[in-house]
Amino acid sequence: MGESAIPGLAVVLKWAAGGVFWLVRELESRFLRKTEFEQCLRAFSLPDLRVLNCRVRSTRQQKGSTYHDAFSVEICGSIHAPKGANHAGASVSIEDVTEGAANAQAVYSRLKQWQTGNSEVFCYNSDLGRIPSADMTLSDWVAVGIINIDWLRLPRKGTRKLRFRICIHNCESGDRFAFAECCFAYENSVLGYMDLQENVQRARTLAVALAFAVSAADNKMYDCEVDLIKNWARGNIDTCKVSDKVRERLEKALEKTVGFFREGNHVDCCRICREVVEIVPVGERYDILDLCLRVARANGTATVEEVSLLKKLAEWLEVDMERFRRMMEKILPSSMHEVKDAEIILGVKSDMSKDETRRHLNKEYRKWNARVTNSDPEIQNQADDMVRFIAEARKEYIA
Amino acid sequence: MANIAGIDLGTTFSSLAILNAIGKPEIVANADGERLTPSAIYFDEESSHTIRVGIEALNSRYVNAERSVRWIKRHMGDSSYRKNVDGKDWTPEELSSLILKKLKQDASGEHGEIRDAVVSVPAHFDEIRRKATMDAGTMAGLNVIGIVNEPVAAALYYATTREVCGKVLVYDLGGGTFDVTIMDVKGHQMDIICSQGDHALGGIDFDIKVLEILEKSYRDKFGGELINSNEDRAKYEDEAEDIKKTLSRRQAAKKLLYGPAGNLKVEITREMLEEAISSLIARTDILIEVALEEARLKPSDINKVLLVGGSTRIPLVQRNLEKMFGFPPENTVNVDECVALGAALHAGLTMLREKPEEVPPGISSGLRDVQLTDVCNHSYGTICAPIDKETGRRVVENRIILKKNTPLPCESTQMFYTMSEGQTEVEVNITQGEDTDVKYVNRIAKHRFKLPPGRAANCPIKVTYSYDMNQRMHCKFEDLESGRVLEVDFCLDDKGQMSQSDIKQKTEEMESVKVE
Repeated sequence: MGESAIPGLAVVLKWAAGGVFWLVRELESRFLRKTEFEQCLRAFSLPDLRVLNCRVRSTRQQKGSTYHDAFSVEICGSIHAPKGANHAGASVSIEDVTEGAANAQAVYSRLKQWQTGNSEVFCYNSDLGRIPSADMTLSDWVAVGIINIDWLRLPRKGTRKLRFRICIHNCESGDRFAFAECCFAYENSVLGYMDLQENVQRARTLAVALAFAVSAADNKMYDCEVDLIKNWARGNIDTCKVSDKVRERLEKALEKTVGFFREGNHVDCCRICREVVEIVPVGERYDILDLCLRVARANGTATVEEVSLLKKLAEWLEVDMERFRRMMEKILPSSMHEVKDAEIILGVKSDMSKDETRRHLNKEYRKWNARVTNSDPEIQNQADDMVRFIAEARKEYIA
Repeated sequence: MANIAGIDLGTTFSSLAILNAIGKPEIVANADGERLTPSAIYFDEESSHTIRVGIEALNSRYVNAERSVRWIKRHMGDSSYRKNVDGKDWTPEELSSLILKKLKQDASGEHGEIRDAVVSVPAHFDEIRRKATMDAGTMAGLNVIGIVNEPVAAALYYATTREVCGKVLVYDLGGGTFDVTIMDVKGHQMDIICSQGDHALGGIDFDIKVLEILEKSYRDKFGGELINSNEDRAKYEDEAEDIKKTLSRRQAAKKLLYGPAGNLKVEITREMLEEAISSLIARTDILIEVALEEARLKPSDINKVLLVGGSTRIPLVQRNLEKMFGFPPENTVNVDECVALGAALHAGLTMLREKPEEVPPGISSGLRDVQLTDVCNHSYGTICAPIDKETGRRVVENRIILKKNTPLPCESTQMFYTMSEGQTEVEVNITQGEDTDVKYVNRIAKHRFKLPPGRAANCPIKVTYSYDMNQRMHCKFEDLESGRVLEVDFCLDDKGQMSQSDIKQKTEEMESVKVE
């Protein structure tokens, strides 16, 4: 088989030939765990060259000044193609079979390029070039794909058993020439998509607790606030795929929670927020604050206790306080605040110098003054109100 | 040959100036011989076809306040505002056109036809309000050749009549609005740097503060209300204005209040007024600081402060400015008239640029050296959906393309990309406002830009906005791959404002309305 005939394979063969020593070094590196090392050593035992074999090695790829962990998917053995020149390709799919083959979970691709049809399921394709002879034997391991681990979305964090399936096929007709599969144990250090889904669900459950805490902050839980939280829970806590019985349980749980807060009980909001911070990214945390702000505005007035708790929640949820203030401006305008606090509404901080405060208030004034000519009368009124409030605050802080 | 006119359409008073044979602006007195005409309208009960404008309308408020209109400028461009009189709904544009019609009518009587005119507006007026002002002029039978910012007009007059050089701050505190404009003046060459303004800060707000003192004094003495009807309110509004004006000359003003529970003699001191209006003056201080920050200047960089508007006569205003800048502000010209005079000069410059053949040689020669570089009054942008850096989510936001205070004429381009595969159209929004949050900007036009089918995502769309010397905006959306182009010359019809045909019809309707 001439190099020119199958350029794709030629390149990888060359790479594989001189790679044994390099491979051992790689196996001993800190990136491979013992299980993987043993697995790879087993792969070194001579495979049956009458069939197609595959193995997976963990490797590192350099791109510019950065390195990426990757799977090197390799094959050896025989490929039986029909007579005549065949343009061959290799496709690599991966499944997570940690829970057994019967409970295999899909591995998704972050890149559209490696997604299958309309789904996000991972499938890597490479071009192997032309195979002129009907039967071809690869006597040594040849890499058919280097799969960057960052491309993949695994179902869960931790040690995962991944099943790699390699299919050699005719690029034109799609006919399969050869197929092989192997498993590889991989220590996944990032949260999987199932972990994330569960975390999101958990965070939404905690969001409901925080929302009730805001509602009960002034020791008055209005029906409009409770209804808002219940509706949010029904729409956001995943009940679409479950039975009526489970939905019923959600309703009971909500009722029980309402009762808990109505009896004057409290929850440790700081601890809840800490858990939320651990399990979900910042976008979800803004969603929680959005819900809490809407609860505070539900009855038309946000009490001092409610506003104070909202501010604490934003701090505990470790969001950008300036962004939170902008959210508050939109959802909970100053006219709804029972007491107007310049620190909360305008973002004036006690550690600001007089000059810093002046500059900050000027910036706020410029922002609101530009909004007084907004075509929405509600925004006009809010802007007029804010312009007056800033002028008053300036008298207090700068005079 | 028709006159070239400039009109100051003020909140409380309006005036008209024309250019004389050598290009100098002159105020034209109204039919009563007054140089300022109150911006007040009264719909006569006796004769439904007669509408009174000016001093008579102002005084008629005491008789029937329901049939009178004042301070209509504060509602300019407000599509929800209507004044219903005898079953007819009057819009702010129609009401303003009555004032302009009166000015035109009175001036034409003595000086011949008034046709081509520039009308002044506060610098902070948005496009909707500017367009509404132009429409009012058209309905009054004027050919509105341009709109000029009030502080720019005032500075134009100052610069052509006085020795002004360096960085100049124009402090324009009128009857209903406040503007601060910073400009660089070198002889007759004026470059506007930036403007800031407050749409609801002016003399009438000071009058309201005085009125509040009067009402409180009466309540404290008699336990009852001084004002019990709109007619009472109209009367005491004028009393309050009178007290305010007196306090600009004297330390104290005395008034006898004839209330329903008894009469009360009150004395209001200048200190009382200054205390009452201090928070309003603080707002002007903030806007001066904001304008200085925008211009990247310190108070010490300002060479001259020019006063415009009747409310600058208040001693606290002048003292405050002297304290801030370290020198007294300039008040050597009539602060009530300089806007109209400057607007006439601006009209002359516009005519020279647009229709030079129609400008008499004397005027051409008088305005020969005057040069003015104006700026974009607001920021203009479009709505897009970038990925938020913090959350990684797609967010809808306003992206500014043409920034406020960019010298005119100007042009700016930004590149945007289609979002999805097979996207066959883009909703194109033209916005006005300084915010990135779409909630706080005005969408002044919306169009659908059709794209070729079957393309991948991320196809580039080049967006170019340009703004010319006559404050006309042109927007171009260009699909680079297909070469398709959508061009939008800015018009307000999409926002429900009056279209050209509506204006024509309204103008015809207004022709039959008599103003006295």
